[in-house]
Amino acid sequence: MIRSSPVATMSPPPLPPLSTILLFSLLLTSPVSAWKKEEFRDCNQTPFCKRARTRAPHSIPSLSVSSLSLSDGAVSARLLPSQLLQSPTDSTSASPRALTLRLSVYTPGALRLEIDEDYSDPDAPSHRRFRVPDVLLPDVDDRHKLYLPRISSASPGVTSFYLPYGFEAVVEHEPFQIEVRRASNKEPILSFNSHGLFDFEQLRTNKSDGEDWEERFRSHTDTRPRGPQSISFDVSFHGADFVYGIPEHASTSLSLRPTRGPDVDFSEPYRLFNLDVFEFLHDSPFGLYGSIPFMLSHGTKSSSGFFWLNAAEMQIDVLAPGWDDPANPSPNRIDTLWMAEAGVVDAFFFVGPETKDVLGQYLSLTGTPAMPQHFAVGYHQCRWNYRDEEDVDSVDAGFDSHDIPYDVLWLDIEHTDGKRYFTWDKTLFPDPVGMQKRLAAKGRHMVTIVDPHVKRDDSFFLHKEATEKGYYVKDASGRDFDGWCWPGSSSYPDMLNPEIREWWSEKFLFANYKGSTPSLHIWNDMNEPSVFNGPELTMPRDAVHYGDVEHRELHNAYGYYFHMASSIGVVKRGEGKDRPFVLSRAFFAGTQRYGAIWTGDNSADWDHLRSSVPMILTLGLTGMTFSGADVGGFFGNPEPELLVRWYQLGAFYPFFRGHAHLDTKRREPWLFGEKNTALIREAVHVRYSLLPYFYTLFREASTSGLPIMRPLWLEFPQDKETFNNGEAFMVGPALLVQGVYQEGEKSVSVYLPGTESWYYLRNGVTYAGGRSHKMEVFEDGIPTFQKAGTIIPRKDRFRRSSTQMVNDPYTLVIALNSSKSAEGELYMDDGKSFEYEEGAFMHRQFVFSDNKLVSTNKGRTNLSKKKFYSECLVERVILLGLSANAKKAVIEPGNHEVDIELGPLSLRAGSSPVALTIRKPNVHVADDWTISIL
Amino acid sequence: MEINLRFSLLLMSLLFLIAIPSLASIPLRDSLGISPQDESYYKAGVIKCKDGSKKFSRDLLNDEFCDCPDGTDEPGTSACPEGKFYCQNSGHAPLVVFSSRVNDGICDCCDGSDEYDGKVNCSNTCWEAGKVARDKLKKKIATYQDGLIMRNKEVEKAKLAIAKDEEELSKLTNEEKSLRELVGKLKEQKERIEKAENEEKLKKELEEKRLKEEAEKQAAKEKESIEASLQVESKDANEKVPEASTEVGEKGKKTEVQHEGASYDEHNEVLSRESPAQKFAKMTRNEDEETKPGNAEDKLEHAQMAEQVSDDSSANGADAMHSEGQEHGSASTGGFSKEELGRLVASRWTGEKSAEKDENPKDESQKVHTDDVAEPAEEEENYDSYNSDTEDDRYKYKDHGDEHKYDDEYDGDSDEEYSNDHADTADAADSYKSDDEYKSDHSEDTSTHGGLSWIDKIQQTVQRVLQSFNFFKTPVDLSEASRIKKEYDDLNSKLSKIQSRIHHLKEKNKHDFGNNKQFYSFYDQCFEYKENKYVYKVCPFKKATQNEGHSSTQLGRWDKFEDSYRTMVFANGDHCWNGPDRSLKVRLRCGLKNEVADVDEPSRCEYVAVLSTPAMCAEEKLKELKQKLADMNSSQQASHDEL
Repeated sequence: MIRSSPVATMSPPPLPPLSTILLFSLLLTSPVSAWKKEEFRDCNQTPFCKRARTRAPHSIPSLSVSSLSLSDGAVSARLLPSQLLQSPTDSTSASPRALTLRLSVYTPGALRLEIDEDYSDPDAPSHRRFRVPDVLLPDVDDRHKLYLPRISSASPGVTSFYLPYGFEAVVEHEPFQIEVRRASNKEPILSFNSHGLFDFEQLRTNKSDGEDWEERFRSHTDTRPRGPQSISFDVSFHGADFVYGIPEHASTSLSLRPTRGPDVDFSEPYRLFNLDVFEFLHDSPFGLYGSIPFMLSHGTKSSSGFFWLNAAEMQIDVLAPGWDDPANPSPNRIDTLWMAEAGVVDAFFFVGPETKDVLGQYLSLTGTPAMPQHFAVGYHQCRWNYRDEEDVDSVDAGFDSHDIPYDVLWLDIEHTDGKRYFTWDKTLFPDPVGMQKRLAAKGRHMVTIVDPHVKRDDSFFLHKEATEKGYYVKDASGRDFDGWCWPGSSSYPDMLNPEIREWWSEKFLFANYKGSTPSLHIWNDMNEPSVFNGPELTMPRDAVHYGDVEHRELHNAYGYYFHMASSIGVVKRGEGKDRPFVLSRAFFAGTQRYGAIWTGDNSADWDHLRSSVPMILTLGLTGMTFSGADVGGFFGNPEPELLVRWYQLGAFYPFFRGHAHLDTKRREPWLFGEKNTALIREAVHVRYSLLPYFYTLFREASTSGLPIMRPLWLEFPQDKETFNNGEAFMVGPALLVQGVYQEGEKSVSVYLPGTESWYYLRNGVTYAGGRSHKMEVFEDGIPTFQKAGTIIPRKDRFRRSSTQMVNDPYTLVIALNSSKSAEGELYMDDGKSFEYEEGAFMHRQFVFSDNKLVSTNKGRTNLSKKKFYSECLVERVILLGLSANAKKAVIEPGNHEVDIELGPLSLRAGSSPVALTIRKPNVHVADDWTISIL
Repeated sequence: MEINLRFSLLLMSLLFLIAIPSLASIPLRDSLGISPQDESYYKAGVIKCKDGSKKFSRDLLNDEFCDCPDGTDEPGTSACPEGKFYCQNSGHAPLVVFSSRVNDGICDCCDGSDEYDGKVNCSNTCWEAGKVARDKLKKKIATYQDGLIMRNKEVEKAKLAIAKDEEELSKLTNEEKSLRELVGKLKEQKERIEKAENEEKLKKELEEKRLKEEAEKQAAKEKESIEASLQVESKDANEKVPEASTEVGEKGKKTEVQHEGASYDEHNEVLSRESPAQKFAKMTRNEDEETKPGNAEDKLEHAQMAEQVSDDSSANGADAMHSEGQEHGSASTGGFSKEELGRLVASRWTGEKSAEKDENPKDESQKVHTDDVAEPAEEEENYDSYNSDTEDDRYKYKDHGDEHKYDDEYDGDSDEEYSNDHADTADAADSYKSDDEYKSDHSEDTSTHGGLSWIDKIQQTVQRVLQSFNFFKTPVDLSEASRIKKEYDDLNSKLSKIQSRIHHLKEKNKHDFGNNKQFYSFYDQCFEYKENKYVYKVCPFKKATQNEGHSSTQLGRWDKFEDSYRTMVFANGDHCWNGPDRSLKVRLRCGLKNEVADVDEPSRCEYVAVLSTPAMCAEEKLKELKQKLADMNSSQQASHDEL
């Protein structure tokens, strides 16, 4: 590991004898690896997981559907154990109560399944199981719920009904099972409980004899006052080659590797339980900081998805073909086992049929990603910690003197007065307003950290208020929960309560957050929540939230609510005018609506560089598009080569931030010699020149939900070669990027998908699609290709920050396909306000065909209440793949001629002219125009 | 006259300020951003890109389109990313800025020439800025002038001192040679004497043994029956005694060890994570006590466990802790209160940081304690440094000579030698301290008496002693023998002192004192700097420390000069928890006093300090500064002329 050896940690001066003894024992047994496996529960130590995982298919009493009816446009029914239905007299006193089943249909293509206790049953406990609020869009039923006019029962014991896109849902009554299939050929797409593993532990009030509901883990005891209440079931994805999703796990594989079954080494199931993991492994099914219980499947025939809205701890097995019957492995079907500690079944089946459809279906329920401010798409410079105002100024000056653009400077926990958030260390940061203004004068922003743990200090206004108002999460005995985090003894506002979120959001008002200015934005860390002395470093499961909800029931969503409240707060302070930027570490389904996330405390090693790509791609596939990994690696000191490679890769992360641990050596980009400074500058420049393209992609994400960084197969769904490629990725539809993940790498093999060719952006050379190419690797960049048939808008002038680029002219890079055509788009707005929602934006469509480049409006400006107009010109059009004899072009309107000459692909000293370039067309980018090649 | 001049300058500046608006017109495209040196380059009709990649016609100069990737064609616009923009800054110094600064809405040149697209209005501040800069430069020049004189003196002194060192070294080398011969002779005699003595001793012992054995045989026969019973009892007693003492010892140790619970290993692990956590605990303790007296105290009882034990002040504390450990059971987190656990986990991220950063009286007292022990020891080592060689010799001698005869002593000896080796290592490292001590010490011995050099005198003495000793006389004449031994010891000790001094001088000479030996005088100097509670001590060619009260943290041992004598590097200091070994870079700059300013820790455990010293006031630099001032004055003149 990267940590220094424990022996070396002991330094002079020599110590008195007694402490020497203590310290010596320290030397002898410090663990070599920092990953503390024993501190976290595995499936075997987790009773619900162990029980469910060891069950054989169809080994539990099956359930039957009864009293199925159509009411209010949805299907409702009751679920009872089959034998109970057949011979009700056999029922013992402890007979299970019926469950309620509800099925409804949503546009654009989802089946919703809800199973819960029947609270009308006189034996039902008064406590209701937790259904996660505020994750589905508030108007989801109004906007997307379909009123089901009829159901059909073609054969007895089978009910079916319509789903969009030519699909249907089929409910088998005995044994209970649901299938989503193509209506035309009855081909199954998804099935639920086809292996009879559905189990629902009903709430009880009395323990049976000798039963112990408590759970102990290490020194912690979970009182579990409501006893076991877990739910598990199997879901099968038919026609699937791979399944993806369910972040957050560190993995070098893009697809989810099977965790059980023939030829699978022993593995834990994928765990979804938000945890603050110290020095996480780069490849493990272990749960990290966030959870999105959404899985997608993909195969050449179809794509589908499954989402279980449940915030309790979840464990998910991906079962290798033949797990149920080694003699008969079923190809093209992937079975999965879902297990959760509590909650209800509130699940969605997405029919696809394309992955982009699945994504859209998921995001129609949980919301599309928020449109960030333009500055947030630039480069962020962070470190734990920039110590004082002088340090901030000198880092800021360093970027200027080395001509490296950056947009945001970050302050970690040490900037506060004793880890009391919303305060400043008065010695180190005597004039935070002045400091922010100095940055703002260069168009730069600042981000400060605000964590959920509130220091238990009566003189701290936040603690005082929260205590008085009773706003903290309670422990099992009803007192304010008191846990340990950075400030020491801390309590945690109960973010489940809307009133408390409201209160919290007001803390961000300029009047309340003293020393904050409009250029200041927010970073939420430790919101899993991290509790250093809690079980598995988090809050005890029996802690109690608003509405008598146990922490176990909402754990995975705590960080989400916190992020939500902070994000709303940042909007509020600017009278709702400006888009917020709030970065969070913990996340849940829906987080995409509130801000960005990063992949947490990674390490400065090549493996972590490699796993960052599958991690971010997976996040993108589950709606969390604005994400990135710490460039350079948080823990440890990267060798310059690793740092440079990380910048080159990180420049394509949607969220591009350099960050480092307190104990690491300083690593501002200019500290590794002139050569490396130049290489990093170049990497950052690549990002800045692509800002128009990135911003357009952010816009696309915010409307359609398509990720910015995409797996190759999302763009090439039929190309099997790409299905598990986690090393290369697409940025939008046009750019393919191949990372370099090894020290001293001389060449990499790059698979270029599809039938069209690709332009290597280093020299404009074309490479054929549909095959792998061995590419020589250079130190000045990682292999990047533009897909034939695309147009990428760039800005090739570099400024201190993105703010100064607003008026700079554009370069359009046109990569022609085999039919000599291409298309692309460009979106721009004021970069900060919400006026774009009222139509104040510019959205251009560029189409090149028949030797003509045409710019037309793509936006719905006729509907706009507000307008946006850009004064920017197009200064250069680069044409890749056009025959070299063109000399002139004519611009309409105006009918004026401009020159075409050979020019370089990028304006760097030494770059050679390789592509036809239309020189100074100087058309307004926001206008309609045509450029015809003569 | 001077007053007049000042007045006119003031007047000029006023005029200049008034004139600004008229200057802010858009400059000529042909000259925009081009430095005077380059003007002729751009005169041609067809201009080459400086990197040779291309040619461009004059109408493409500053036409807002980048033709040369190196920026040659766009010195005055932002079109080329690699371009450079020259601002004339009349009244101040010219400046070259990145072309990315042109028309970016931010005023970079004091004359505002980088912002000409009318989007932002930059006022011309060159006059004021130039005046400030010139004044600053003048001051700097004055410092350099005075400093240069001092520096030259130092350089002269250093040359003399170095010559003196060399002279001393050659003298000492000769003396060492003679002395070594004498010592050799004495050693030979001494060995012979000892051999003879040993033989005598052995003979005597054998005789005594024989007599004793005979006597014992006699006695044994007489007491046989009584002894048999006595032996049994005494054997029992012997066995009991050590047992009892062990028990006592264990009891004493109990406070240290027993609280660790049943499994030693397990607890080790716990402790290993605990120590930093404890420090963290200490850091926040004060705050806790303020906020939550009752509760906090209660918790702290557990949290302080390591403190209390290491403090070795409170046996009760340790006991309380002990029972606490039992209460919590033996799970791997056993023995921790919730708070301890929190601190422990926090410490993974923070390491010692918190303890180091925050005030911590307990820690301090620990360190004080440490230092009390450590510092005298260091001095002792220095005093002993001449002797250590001697001692070492003695042990070696014994080893070689007597190894076989005294087998049972061998172990003990080798242990001692081992520990001595250690002392030696420390000595070598610290030997620089011995310089002055050597002088005072050695001067008595080496001063000359009555015409004869001391070494001649010694030679005579030795001669005498050797002659007067009769080797064939048995038994050995005790007084003569001891004289020889004494003489040997004395001379041997002198020899080591000389050798040590020679070593010292050679080591010193190995150092790089700068291209003009301007840093020679630093060798025997340390510079201190106080910042808050810390005192930083920088001893060039030796080491640098950070001292807090009596505790001292080594920031680094002397490594080298860097950056052509502009930086001193101290490396491999004390290790940082979870970080690098501490190190210090001292940036040198010209000043009239040797003075440390501004110690900083920009990166964890990597310190940076500034040391101003006349040694840095070099002549070339002074010329450079004067030239700069002349340039500034002429540009100021030019701006006046424009007016």
